[in-house]
Amino acid sequence: MRRPPQAVQVLGSVLVALVIAAIAIAVVTAHFGPTSSAKLEAREDALKQREDLIEEREKAREDRLEESR
Amino acid sequence: MEQLIEDLTRGNVTEVKVVLASVVLALAVYQLVLAGVAYGWLRLPFLEAATASWTHRASGDAIVVLTILVATACIAFYGFEEGGAHAVFGCALLGTIALKIVAVRAGGRLSRLLPLLGVSVLALFGLTWLTSAGDFLGAG
Repeated sequence: MRRPPQAVQVLGSVLVALVIAAIAIAVVTAHFGPTSSAKLEAREDALKQREDLIEEREKAREDRLEESR
Repeated sequence: MEQLIEDLTRGNVTEVKVVLASVVLALAVYQLVLAGVAYGWLRLPFLEAATASWTHRASGDAIVVLTILVATACIAFYGFEEGGAHAVFGCALLGTIALKIVAVRAGGRLSRLLPLLGVSVLALFGLTWLTSAGDFLGAG
């Protein structure tokens, strides 16, 4: 097989390096998953809502106990 | 400096460091292939030794720049105190890269050390990545 001209070889080998870099970036950022501040805030809100709900239920239970006495 | 790094990465210092370190590691593996072609250990029908050597040098320059960026962010933001094995491997890596650059520039008998230094740099890249980025990504 005849080798391509040197300029093509240089371009090709540099392009391969760029593709490798792009793949590494894509793989690692995909591994991070959602990191946008909006999604993180939504996750925190959901957690806070759950805590509030537990607190409310606890309070309602205590009120019922007081009433029954 | 700490604030500058935080601002530049928009608060995602670790994530940016992990991405850049992973790019460097992937390119370092490619460097091994290029060095293999340049030294004639690996024969590819579409790539000459001289071209592989040129790309090895160009890609190596990019790797050095990225490594300095990651190392600067690492040392300025996290410091050495809690670095442990990562700090040791990182310092050894920077030292070996410096030695390799000296060997490339000086040439002569020192250039005989290049394959050994190159393999050492790749191994240290791997170990430094594993003890930080790999650990963060759950691979370490």
